[in-house]
Amino acid sequence: MDVPLNASHAAQDLFRQHGAAVYRFAIALLRHHQDAEDVVQETFLKLLRHLGGGGSMENVRGWLFTVAAHALRDRQRRRSRWIPWAPDHEGIVEPAQLLDEDGRMRMLRTALRQLPARDRLLLALRAQGLSYQEIAAAAGIRFSSVGRLLARAVDRCEHACAAQVAIGKPRAIKPERHGLL
Amino acid sequence: MSCLNDALIQSIVDGEAVVGDKDGEAVVGDQDGDARAHLASCARCQMRVRERETVMQAIGQSMSMPADLPPDTRLRVERTLAEASRAGATRLRENRAARWSWPRALWSAGAVVAATLIAVVFVAPTINSPATVSAAEILAKSATLLATRASTGVEVLEYELALDGVPREMMPDHADGIYRMKQIIDHDVSGRYLVATHGPDGQLISSVAQDPASRRRIVAVLIDDQPYRFEFSVPEGVVLSLPEMERVHMQASIAMMQASGDKRLEVIDTPDGRRYRIQVPQVSAQTSTAVWDLTEASVVVDASDYHIVEFAVKGTFLKQPYSVSYKLIARTIGAHLSADAFEVPRDPRAIDIEGEGSAIPARDVLVASLREYARLRTQRDSR
Repeated sequence: MDVPLNASHAAQDLFRQHGAAVYRFAIALLRHHQDAEDVVQETFLKLLRHLGGGGSMENVRGWLFTVAAHALRDRQRRRSRWIPWAPDHEGIVEPAQLLDEDGRMRMLRTALRQLPARDRLLLALRAQGLSYQEIAAAAGIRFSSVGRLLARAVDRCEHACAAQVAIGKPRAIKPERHGLL
Repeated sequence: MSCLNDALIQSIVDGEAVVGDKDGEAVVGDQDGDARAHLASCARCQMRVRERETVMQAIGQSMSMPADLPPDTRLRVERTLAEASRAGATRLRENRAARWSWPRALWSAGAVVAATLIAVVFVAPTINSPATVSAAEILAKSATLLATRASTGVEVLEYELALDGVPREMMPDHADGIYRMKQIIDHDVSGRYLVATHGPDGQLISSVAQDPASRRRIVAVLIDDQPYRFEFSVPEGVVLSLPEMERVHMQASIAMMQASGDKRLEVIDTPDGRRYRIQVPQVSAQTSTAVWDLTEASVVVDASDYHIVEFAVKGTFLKQPYSVSYKLIARTIGAHLSADAFEVPRDPRAIDIEGEGSAIPARDVLVASLREYARLRTQRDSR
């Protein structure tokens, strides 16, 4: 794949600007270093081809997260097809240690893991600061639906938390296969 | 205006304009102004906004990862992007050395062996990337181990096999492509083996046993809950076996990985000891004309003796997508087994079919079935 020098330079600049964010997004959903690194590499190689082919530089951040979201989905489908779930495949990367004196953060994380894949994707994109326009593109939903679907995802998360409170402790999770997406 | 719905509250919390939906198109207009005017005068909605802000902040924190790109990953991606303007960023497919146009004679088992040996012995060592020497060395050792079969004794392998695409279509069952396999290979008698395939539920789907000493090959297969048992005479000189073909495929795939300039090595410490994971990242298929091509490959190698414990490839064969994933569960060399370990258990319900065998078991089953069908039809017509 031969690409113009300026496309290569532009891709390198964009990698320095957004590489870490794409990585955090991927690892938040996959919770697996190796897979998250793969997603980053795949995303920026596609960016390189995009730019090398004269692709638009408009809203590059949204474009990157769109490609990364697709790569995450592909990876998830492939993993679920290839390898049955096993505990040692799950939760390799733990979230940041936060002050959690009353256990609410743990409860929230448990609830997030119980959400449907699309809800988690929307919340993860929003947590990375993406606009509704960017979220719509990355998640493949209508722009006008983003607010409603995000609100629903938050509601489901709150209900999952409430359910844990109701039984007095965080519920045992039936982990979805391979990560959160 | 009545109190704001959850979507409006969410939009306001997220700093987005409140949009309406007209004929499927987002509309920003009066609704935004109306919502904000209502919010300014409604204590209940103000409280809901504050509550939602708190929840969103907590969700953002809970999803935060203590993660920055590992330095080696950062360097590798930067280097790949920089090199793209000079030589090409995606190596597995773009590297000319890796783009073999395999002849149709690939169908011939002999050609597979020959091509693999050429790839392993001559092609792979000529391609070397200074940044991936370690991965290349590990792959080379694994390839050597694969090429150097155990010379004596009985080897028992249990593994999980996941198939998709062409190989899955070739399987006689309707399972979801995930199988539990057991192989028994007698290295003292060339070509003597047993391969049993179980579905995810443990049910025996098929079993193939061959013994060149008795010149017999038994193929048992379950189709639509009906067991069939084929018994073939094996022609003299047939030593290539199903395990051998699988090994050759693995060997050839490792050779292609060796030829890739973009290998990624990860050291993993597991309860079973240290392992190396080597991956050739995914490259998208563009205009490949190769008979067989890989777009992605990964292998996990036991560090103690370089035997392969996991292996996964994805690619195309005759332009049809396929994937194979192998995960070793248990491996015993020098196993002491009873003589009937190489026997395929007889199912009393089985329909027995006999025929003459060749080097290709699948072909034999097809030919024998058609001959049996023709024989039965002739018999019926003559009544």
